[in-house]
Amino acid sequence: MAGKKYYHGFEVVTENCTGCTACVRVCPTEAIRVRDGKVVIDSNRCIDCGNCVSVCKVNALIPHPDPLKKIEEFKYKVVIVSSAFAGQFSENIRYKEVLASFYKFGFDLVFEESMMSDFMVKLIREYVRINKHIRPILSSNCPAVVRLIQVRFPSLLPNLLLMESPMGILAQYYRDRLEKEMNYKPEEIGIFNVIPCIADLTATHQPEGTRQKLFDGAFSNADMYNEIMQILNSGDELDTDFESYAAGLSWTLSGIEADLVDCKDIRTLSVNGIDNVKDVLSKVEDHYLDQYDYIVIRSCKNGCVGGVLNVENPFVAMSRIKKLSKQAKKIDYDDRGVVELHKQGAFAVDPIFPRSMMKLDQDIKLALVKMKKLNEILAKLPGINCSACGSPNCFSLAEDIVQGKATLDDCIVLLKKTKE
Amino acid sequence: MRVCVVARLSNIMAEYLKVNPDYQDRVKELFENDTKPEITLEFEIEEHDFINSGKGSAELKLTIKRLGVDPAIMRRIAIAAYEAEINIAAHSRGGAMRSNIFPDYVHIVFKDMGPGIDDLEQAMTPGFSTAIDLVREMGFGAGLGLPNIERNADIMKLDSEKNKSTQLDVIVFFQ
Repeated sequence: MAGKKYYHGFEVVTENCTGCTACVRVCPTEAIRVRDGKVVIDSNRCIDCGNCVSVCKVNALIPHPDPLKKIEEFKYKVVIVSSAFAGQFSENIRYKEVLASFYKFGFDLVFEESMMSDFMVKLIREYVRINKHIRPILSSNCPAVVRLIQVRFPSLLPNLLLMESPMGILAQYYRDRLEKEMNYKPEEIGIFNVIPCIADLTATHQPEGTRQKLFDGAFSNADMYNEIMQILNSGDELDTDFESYAAGLSWTLSGIEADLVDCKDIRTLSVNGIDNVKDVLSKVEDHYLDQYDYIVIRSCKNGCVGGVLNVENPFVAMSRIKKLSKQAKKIDYDDRGVVELHKQGAFAVDPIFPRSMMKLDQDIKLALVKMKKLNEILAKLPGINCSACGSPNCFSLAEDIVQGKATLDDCIVLLKKTKE
Repeated sequence: MRVCVVARLSNIMAEYLKVNPDYQDRVKELFENDTKPEITLEFEIEEHDFINSGKGSAELKLTIKRLGVDPAIMRRIAIAAYEAEINIAAHSRGGAMRSNIFPDYVHIVFKDMGPGIDDLEQAMTPGFSTAIDLVREMGFGAGLGLPNIERNADIMKLDSEKNKSTQLDVIVFFQ
């Protein structure tokens, strides 16, 4: 929406930037430029996928999760742990000890994203069956994907599953319950999540479509990993006398969600990794994938284990989560309360609006004039897409010139030719 | 000798013409239009080249998005263009697509090098397909191509001469 200021889960440290353009080249929405030797981000186009953060070797783009001490601002502290977190620990550490360490750290209640896995299967199947007229339904769990659709594929916004994420549902349900059942004022209850990626940080602070406040802050898997490891290494006794829901952990892996939702009348597809995601969304636009009822889409390779706030390699983490999930005793989460809220429509989200940043002008006729000019400029450029000008490729430099954000002199190859 | 010529208007377009009869002349003129389009995109399509076919419509789609055409209309253009492009790869000896973009509409011309369509009415019937096994194995050839194009175009004209070539014209208005 015009004029809206977009929050991002990372910050630019300009003095660290060497102008190398590594980030410019990996941005899926061409939101990054190097101008005057320093990185500049187009906030409107940025979808928070985290690609730039993971390729930056000079700490010019760094994630800014909430500091862990933020829990001290609240009297009653609740944490919801993402499933990807479980994959960060080596196999000699028991998952229950990891969870127990959260209590030791200072949380009063610890919940797992995996508690919601069975409920999510029910919720998604129901949604897919009700919305028969829309095919395929696209998963909305990955905030980077939702934002990618807003920016590059706005015609697919009606296909998004307009429901809260599993962690959002847990936050909403327990906030509701705690406010009613505990003797704390609403502002005394702090609900936090521990998450694997930049997009989740952004979605925590500026969710799309969400109707009410869900979280009070977001901690990164990496920050929390360090704390938990210290507690585990301290040798302190941990109370592990509680249920854990490890069987549902594998939901977070790309492919598993699709397999779980897939059934007689619902055909699913799973896609992950931003380039494949863009390709599949383009095919959905062409109605080429209408045979699928539900498509699970995750921006990171292998799903949430690929997020940049993790410490472990995504393939190793994936293998560990699969093992944990397979070996776990299946404990059914009592979801009656959640089901009840769901019946009242509590988890529905509002329609999501386009952020179409692709158009050259608000007026088609002016856009055409710019397009013609753009093509003329493009014909002059060398076409080697070197990014040395600070734009990702020759096309985007031409676009920048048309929009008055760059000049032909920015092209180093052309400049060299003129000098010869 | 020409076998058959089919020109069809979408329901939306037909309704629109009832309200705006003046526009009828304009529609007729579209096919004899010799004003220069603002932008022209051209792509060659090789026979059975399923790796590259689809790139022409993808490029057109990006251009249409950059012009800021309404997403729903953009999607209709994308579907019609993609289907037609695949049709050339699947059924013809190769051909080309040329997208002429005007300020208020796009006119896409798909022209192949034969072998022509036997029966145009049959070709327009959902589910009818002459696709060979190779094409079906690629996941195409369900017999929905032309009907799908018709559904998404404002105006569609199919012109085929047996044992010669086929030309398909698709027009979609931006508003």
